[in-house]
Amino acid sequence: MEETLFLKKDMKKELSNYEFSNLKKALKLGREKVIDIIKQSGLKGRGGAGFPTGLKWELAYQEEADKKYIICNGDEGEPGTFKDRYLLENNPVKVLEGILIVAYAIGADEGYCYIRGEYLGPINIFEKVINEAEATGILGENILDSGFNFNLYLVKGAGAYVCGDETSLINSIEGKRGRSRIKPPYPIAKGLFDKPTVVNNVETLVSAVEIINQGLDKYLELGTENSRGTKLVCLSGDVNQPGVYEVEFGQVTLGEIIEQFGKGIRNYVPLKFLVPGGISTQVLTPAELNVPYTYEGIASAGSALGSGAVIVVDEGHDLVDLMLNVSRFFMDETCGTCFPCREGNRQVYHMLKEGKEGFTEKDVELIKNVGTTIHLAARCGLGQTSLNFIGSVFDKFGDELKLKGGEHYVTSKY
Amino acid sequence: MLQVNIDGKTYNVNEGSSILEAAGKAHIKIPTLCYEEGLSIYGGCRLCVVEIEGERLLQPACATEIKEGMVIKTHSPKVQEVRRNLFELIIASHDISCKLNCLTCSKNGNCELRQAADIIGINQVRLKSRDKGYSEDRSSYSIIREPNKCITCGRCIRKCEEVQGIGIFTMANRGPATIVTTFEDKGMGNVECTNCGQCIHSCPTGALHEVYHYENVWDVLNDPSKHVVVQTAPAVRVAISEPFGAEPGAVATGQMVAALRRLGFDRVFDTNFTADLTIMEEGTELIERINNGGILPLLTSCSPGWIKFIEHFYPDLLPNISSCKSPQQMFGAVAKTYYAEKNNIPLEDLVVVSVMPCTAKKFEARRPEMEGDVDFVLTTRELARMIKTAGIDMLALEEEEYDNLMGVSSGAADIFGATGGVMEAALRTAYELITGEELEKLDFEMVRGLEGIKVAEIDINGLKVKGGVAHGLGNVRKLMDRIKSGEEFHFIELMACPGGCLGGGGQPIPTNEETRTRRMKAIYEIDKGKKMRKSHENSYVQKLYDDYLGKPGSHRAHELLHTSYTARGV
Amino acid sequence: MNYGCFLERMHNVQDTYGYIPETEIDKIARDFNIPRAKVYGTIKFYSMFHTEPTGKYIIRICDSLSCHINSSHQLLETIKTYLGLEDGQTTKDKLFTLEVVECLGYCGEGPVMMVNEHVYIHVNESMALEILKKCV
Repeated sequence: MEETLFLKKDMKKELSNYEFSNLKKALKLGREKVIDIIKQSGLKGRGGAGFPTGLKWELAYQEEADKKYIICNGDEGEPGTFKDRYLLENNPVKVLEGILIVAYAIGADEGYCYIRGEYLGPINIFEKVINEAEATGILGENILDSGFNFNLYLVKGAGAYVCGDETSLINSIEGKRGRSRIKPPYPIAKGLFDKPTVVNNVETLVSAVEIINQGLDKYLELGTENSRGTKLVCLSGDVNQPGVYEVEFGQVTLGEIIEQFGKGIRNYVPLKFLVPGGISTQVLTPAELNVPYTYEGIASAGSALGSGAVIVVDEGHDLVDLMLNVSRFFMDETCGTCFPCREGNRQVYHMLKEGKEGFTEKDVELIKNVGTTIHLAARCGLGQTSLNFIGSVFDKFGDELKLKGGEHYVTSKY
Repeated sequence: MLQVNIDGKTYNVNEGSSILEAAGKAHIKIPTLCYEEGLSIYGGCRLCVVEIEGERLLQPACATEIKEGMVIKTHSPKVQEVRRNLFELIIASHDISCKLNCLTCSKNGNCELRQAADIIGINQVRLKSRDKGYSEDRSSYSIIREPNKCITCGRCIRKCEEVQGIGIFTMANRGPATIVTTFEDKGMGNVECTNCGQCIHSCPTGALHEVYHYENVWDVLNDPSKHVVVQTAPAVRVAISEPFGAEPGAVATGQMVAALRRLGFDRVFDTNFTADLTIMEEGTELIERINNGGILPLLTSCSPGWIKFIEHFYPDLLPNISSCKSPQQMFGAVAKTYYAEKNNIPLEDLVVVSVMPCTAKKFEARRPEMEGDVDFVLTTRELARMIKTAGIDMLALEEEEYDNLMGVSSGAADIFGATGGVMEAALRTAYELITGEELEKLDFEMVRGLEGIKVAEIDINGLKVKGGVAHGLGNVRKLMDRIKSGEEFHFIELMACPGGCLGGGGQPIPTNEETRTRRMKAIYEIDKGKKMRKSHENSYVQKLYDDYLGKPGSHRAHELLHTSYTARGV
Repeated sequence: MNYGCFLERMHNVQDTYGYIPETEIDKIARDFNIPRAKVYGTIKFYSMFHTEPTGKYIIRICDSLSCHINSSHQLLETIKTYLGLEDGQTTKDKLFTLEVVECLGYCGEGPVMMVNEHVYIHVNESMALEILKKCV
C-alpha cells in the first residue's frame, strides 16, 4: 500500500521563490467563498477533537468585533503524536500560508503560532520563516497588494501538555497558568484577550491550504462521507517501520496500517493491543482492528481517531506497567484546577501502583467509579479522556489483572 | 424571563442566571465548595454538577447559564453517584483520615466540607488517604496556614485579589503538586500580606486561621501574680453572640462583660474609651492641619490592615496618615502608664489583653514602634472559644457594666465598628469644636452603609470639609488612586475589611453580606440608644486629660498616643 | 505591556540566568502590573521554567508511552545511576540537571534524549553515557 499524497505533496521548506498562489487564490475568491469551500470539504480539526473547520471559520467570521485573532496550535503533546513536528519541519511555508488564509477569511489582523517549547527544531525553522515573510512583505501591511494586513507572532510553549487544549493555550499566550476556561463563551466568540479567536491545528491548516490548492473536487474524492480527505498517521511502538504516513480515510483498516505501513510487528511477537488515537483513547484488541481508518470506523470499535497517534503494543509488556506510565502522564499533566481530574488521577495512579500483584473486584470497581466521575464531571477534554486508556485495558484484559481467586468485577452503569 | 424545568417543576428565571442561582430560587440546595458569592466563578470543585437533558456530560451549576427550555436534574442518581465519588476524592486528600483532625480543627463546627457531606449524603470512604506532607506556614504574626487541609479551591486567592486588591496568594505547580502558596513560598509573614484575615472567611476548611493567643491568655489568667486587664473592640459586642447560636446582630455587650469577669480578668475595659480618645487626638490633628496648611487629606490610622497596605503599596502617602495610634494601642499605652501608676501595679505584673474583630491587630501589637502596649490579642472567635471552654452559658448571664474609668464611651465610639463610623464620630466632634455650636442632626447618613466608596461634603462655618470613606482594600486602592490623581479631600477614613471592623478577619464565621448588614444595624442602634453620642462629651476622657495628658495634642499625648510608620514596598 | 510576550520574556530571562530569579519576577510583575505571587504561580505551572539555578546541561529523557515501550525507563535508570540524580535534581558541580519529561515528539525514534537544545534519537545506554561524558 502506498501513501496517498495530498498533504505531503509539494512540501515547502523555504520561502524563497514561493508564490503563495493559494493565498492569492483565496484573496481573489473572497472571504465567504473560502469559508464555503472549507465547509463543503467537510474538513475536521486534526488536533484531536474533530470539530468541523469550515463551521469554526464561519462562526468567527460572523462575529462582529474590532479585533480577531487566529492561533496556530503547534503544541503537539499527545504521546505518540509527531505529525505537526513533521509538518513544521518539512512544510513550514504552507503552515504559514494556512494561517494567512484563515486570518483573511475570518478578518483577523493578528495571529500567534504557539509551538511547544520542546520543539526547538521547528521553532527555529518557523521563526526563520516568519522573519523572511516579514522581510518580503508576506506578513505586515497590505499583503500582496490586497489591502489585507496581518502580523504573526511566534510563542514558545514551556512544557505543559494541557496547553494543547485551545482555551488553555489561549490562557498561556496571555501569560497565565495554562488551565482551561469555562465554556461557553467559546473562543470563537471570546477567545484571546476576549476577542473572537480561531484556534487551528497545524495539520488542519495545511489541509485547508491543499484544499484550496488541489481543489474541492479532488478533496471530495478522498475519504468517506464523514471522514474527508487524508490523515497523517503517526505510527510508533512495536512496529518495524514507525513514522508519519499519509493515509486516505476509508482505504485501509487499522490492522492494515500496522502491516502495510508499519511492516508488521517487530520480532514476530504477537500484538497485544493498539492505541488508535493517542493515549487519551481506548485501546483496541487484535480482534477489533478490522475497521476502516475513519472517524466513524474507529468510533464503531469503541475508541476514537484522536490526534492520529497509532501506538502498537505487543505482548512483551507488563500491562500494569503500561497503565502506570499512562496514569503518571495524566496525573502530572492535569492543570490542577478541577478536583475530579486532579484528585482522581492521583488516586488512580496510587491504586495502580498498589495493585501490582493483581486487583480485587473492589479495586477495579473503585477505579472504574473514579474514572466515570472524572469523565462526567471534569472541566476539559484532558480530564474527560484521561481514563480511557486505563478503563479500556481493565475492560478488555480484566481477567489477566485480577487477583488470583478473585471474582468478576462490575462496571459503572454510566 | 426564561422558562426552565428543574427537577420536574417549571420555573421562570431571569436571563443571565446560573443554574445555581435558579436552583436557589427554587429552594433546591446544590452543594458547592469553590463557589463564593461576590467572587469570580472558578468551576473547580465540580460538586455542583447537574444533569442537563441532551448533554452527555454533567455541567457545573455555578458556571452554566440558564437557557430557555432547559431541563435540569440537580439530584438524579447519576449526579448523586458522581458527587459521592467526588467527595470521597476530596476527603482522601484532606489530611483527616484516622487522625480525628476534625476535633482539633479551627473550623470544627463550621466546616464547609462537613456541610457538603451532609447534603451529599456520603456514607463511606473507600479511597485511601493520600497525605501531602506539607509544612505549616507560621511566618506571620497574625495568620497560620495549614496546607495539608487545603483543598485548592482558590477562594483565598480570589478574595485577596478580587475583593482586597492585593493578591498575595497564587496557585503554583500543577497536577497533584498543585498548591496554594505565596510568592517564592516565602510565607504570609514575609510578603505584602496585610494580615486582614479575609482569606480565613473564604476558606471552606481549616487551612487558614489566626495565630492563637488564647492559650497564653489562659496562662496569665491562671497566674495569681498577674493583674490582667482586657479591652473589647466596638465590633466584638455585635458578633460575640453568634458562636453561641444567636442571630447575627444580636447585641451582647453586658453578657460579654460578665463572661470576661468569670474568665478571671481583673478589670474589664472598653476599647471604645480610647476610640473617644482617638477622636480627640485625631480631631485636633485634623483641625491643626486644616488651619496650619498641613498635609491633607488626613488619613485615619485605626485599621492595622490598612496601615500595612499603605506601607507596602503607597509609601509616598505615609505623611498623610494620622500619627495617632489605633484605639487598641492607645488603650495599651494608657493602661501601662496612667492605669498602672494610679493603681500601683508593677509593669511586670500587668498584662493587657485585647479582644478584637481583627487578625491584623495581632501584628499591630507586635510592631516594634509600639511593642509592649498590648500583650495578647484575641479574636472574637478566640474569646467565644474561651467562654465555651470555661463552660459559661454566656447568653444566659445577667448583663454587667464595664469597669471604670476606661469603660465609659460615647455612641460615637461604638460606630467605629462600622465603615464610615470614624468619619461620623470625627465630624460630630470637629463640628462642635470648630463652631462652638451644638450639632443638631447627629446622623451623617451619607457616610453610612455598605457602598464601597462614600464621599461627603460638610459645611462647617463656611469651610467645606470633604470626606471620603472606603472599606475593603480593593476599594481603598481605588480611593488612593483618586487622591494620587489629584482629587482633593480633607479627611479620609480607610478600613481594610469589607463593612469595616464588623466584617473583620477575626469575626465569627460566616462573615458575609448578610451578617455584615445585621451587625451594622446593631451598631447604629447601640449609638442611637446612648445619651452621650459625641466623643468630646465623654467626661472620663476629659478626666484623663486633666489628670494625666494635659490637652489633646500635648507633648505627653504625643509620647503615649502617637506613632510613626515604615515604608515597606513590594 | 503586551501580555502575549509574557512567555517570551520568561524564556529570555531563563536563557540569560539559567533560571528565573526573584528580582526578575519582581520586575516582570511591575511591568505587567500583576501581583508577583501570580507571576510566580504562572512560572511554576510550566515545567520548562525553573525558579532555582539549573545545571549547565539539562538532560531531558522522554518516558511517555511510545518511548517507554522502547525501554526508555531502562535508559533512564542508567543515567540516574551514572549521574547520581533523581528526576528534577541537579549535580553538586552544577553541571547536569536531570528531567524526566513527557513526549518530545520523536515517538517513532525512541528512546529520545535531549541535552540542552540537542535531540538524540534511538539512544541506547552506552550511547547515552558517551553523550554525557562528552559534555564534561
